Amino acid sequence: MVQLLSSDNETFTVDKQVAERSILIKNMLEDVGESDAPIPLPNVTAKILKKVIDWCEHHRGDPVSQQEEINDRKRLTEIDEWDQKFMEVDQETLFEIILAANYLDIKPLLDIGCKTVANMIKGKSPEEIRRTFNIVNDFTPEVRQFGIISHCYFLAMLST
Amino acid sequence: MSTFMDLCTPEDISPPATPPNTYFARPSQRQRSSYIDPSFGDNPTQLATVLDDQQLDYIRKVKTIFQQLTTEQKQFFLYEIINCCDNQQLTFVSDIIAPKLKIDFLKELPIEISLHILSFIEDPRTLGRAASVSTFWNSLLKDETTWKSLCLKHQYRRRNSSISGVALLGPPARRLNFSYREYFKRKYNIEAAWAQGGKVTTCFDSLDSGLVTSLQFDDEMIVVGCDNHKIEVFNTTTGNSIHTLEGHEGGVWALQFKGGEIHDPERLLVSGGCDRDVRVWDLNKGQLKHVLRGHTSTVRCLKMRDKRIAVTGSRDTTLRVWDLQHGTMRHVLLGHQASVRCLDIHDNLVVSGSYDSTARVWDINTGRCLHVLTGHYSQIYAIAFDGSRVITGSLDSNIRVWSAETGQCLATLHGHTSLVGQLQLSASTLVSGGSDGCLRVWDLDNYECVHQISAHDNSVTCLQFDDKRMMSGGNDGRVKLWDVKTGRLIRYFTMPAKTIWRLQFTDTRAVVVMQRRRNNSPEEGRTVMEIHNFDIGDVPEMLANNVIEADEDAEMQNMS
Repeated sequence: MVQLLSSDNETFTVDKQVAERSILIKNMLEDVGESDAPIPLPNVTAKILKKVIDWCEHHRGDPVSQQEEINDRKRLTEIDEWDQKFMEVDQETLFEIILAANYLDIKPLLDIGCKTVANMIKGKSPEEIRRTFNIVNDFTPEVRQFGIISHCYFLAMLST
Repeated sequence: MSTFMDLCTPEDISPPATPPNTYFARPSQRQRSSYIDPSFGDNPTQLATVLDDQQLDYIRKVKTIFQQLTTEQKQFFLYEIINCCDNQQLTFVSDIIAPKLKIDFLKELPIEISLHILSFIEDPRTLGRAASVSTFWNSLLKDETTWKSLCLKHQYRRRNSSISGVALLGPPARRLNFSYREYFKRKYNIEAAWAQGGKVTTCFDSLDSGLVTSLQFDDEMIVVGCDNHKIEVFNTTTGNSIHTLEGHEGGVWALQFKGGEIHDPERLLVSGGCDRDVRVWDLNKGQLKHVLRGHTSTVRCLKMRDKRIAVTGSRDTTLRVWDLQHGTMRHVLLGHQASVRCLDIHDNLVVSGSYDSTARVWDINTGRCLHVLTGHYSQIYAIAFDGSRVITGSLDSNIRVWSAETGQCLATLHGHTSLVGQLQLSASTLVSGGSDGCLRVWDLDNYECVHQISAHDNSVTCLQFDDKRMMSGGNDGRVKLWDVKTGRLIRYFTMPAKTIWRLQFTDTRAVVVMQRRRNNSPEEGRTVMEIHNFDIGDVPEMLANNVIEADEDAEMQNMS
């Protein structure tokens, strides 16, 4: 078993196999060796750490492969049902999960998070995207009218 | 109002009836602009008219006190306030809160993660829309990684075809200008133009009304061989005439040129026809270099191995191997019993198809016949060769596949109901066109017909395919563009004509030579050439700076 300490000082006890889904933790364990001291994770709050551990528990048996994405791009643009449910969270939580997955170096979780955001962008008009993410349209009126057309004509053409 | 104060004193804290989410506190280190000012500060002047000074002052005090509370105390405070709101006020609060809980992911995340998110978007239109969301998104979408992966996903790589757009290559000094975004953009535009129609240049009066027998073009020159003894050379971009090569005393029946590439700009043209002579031209200068004499009847077909060696086939039953540099004959290939109709070359092997119903495999270096391919019941009209497989199309309506090494017939492909006059072979895909108006796509690994397309009401006169598309022209005057993978018609290509003489396409252009009816006298035809340009892009200078080098291309292929 491995003890993990969140940024807000909550301790989690998890199977070594589960914790090692995180390459960061795996490397730490290899460096430190066997130790009872909890591993401090100063960039992850208890709330997010719990989510991440849930994910790792569910995916504990998954093969760890780094090359598959290149070979099997298609499968990887889809998100399986469990993961989809897992990612049905508010944007704040999603944001924190992505950051945590990046920090903890859990590539498949990072991918799922990124795909979830990508899916929020897909098929939307610029205005719908702005509303989804609360973004202010900061193009100057001139750019709005001409800039996108001359400077970025192709993109504008595609968006019609 | 004073109850607010009381509630907010730390001593008075007691647990709320329903505990709010204990994770309410923002754990993030990140500061977002929308969080910095939590007051109703959007419209202070309007608020000032609603409240008098004393009230305003009081609210400010409450705010200060609120800010000094602990997380738990703040939650309790809010809980109490929300509980005294009616639905209208709650909706108001909800409207303020909802957008604040949204995050501009691409802006707030580390840039490499943002780019990773974009890598999961395969639809260029979505990326296009995303680019007009905000200036930040726009700048993010200029990143090369996104477009590079998009290039790979859309399989936009330059093909190794000998007829692909050589002009995509630029001088090495401009290599640094390569941009995947620009490259993608260009390729996407070209694809769109193929599907919807490009810029068409029509040349009406530059060709006589006679028969056109041969066509070849590259990015600078279009060469057309005519039955009226002439070879016309046009500028590929403008369609204007560059030269008329005169000298043949009979109709020109076959021609080919090589060169016109960056490291090999000189174009060497070889032509042959009814006058039995083979002529070698410097195409760039429009000058005759050699007249090769030997054939005793019409030269019916010819192929250049390179700029040194050409092989010609004639109605005199012989093939001849010529040294183009010295203008001399190397070998006479004797054996056929009738007119040599078609030939193909691969390295040092030449294969020929004859009206004597046989095909032959020859060694160019020695001039010896290696194999006689016997099996067809009547004249052979078309031949294709990839170095190991020889494909023949015959008047007996069959296609045969032969081994060039052993001379054995590997398969007979049945299906056409009439003469098979058109063949093109690429890897294990064979496309055949017949006088029955059908196109057939064959898989040579299994000798199966993958697609059978009733393409034309009359003979297929010309066809060409690459890994994406296929073009066919027929005696019904139609040119059609097909999806070679699905066998489906993409679109008709040009207005209906009387007959289609010849066509050829590259990645970015297509040239069709056809006979149209004259408006005033429909019986009389006139020869028309159309140049379709699909590289019409949007901003010309971008295209000019847009250079892809072979090594870039190789890199993209390695990655895929």
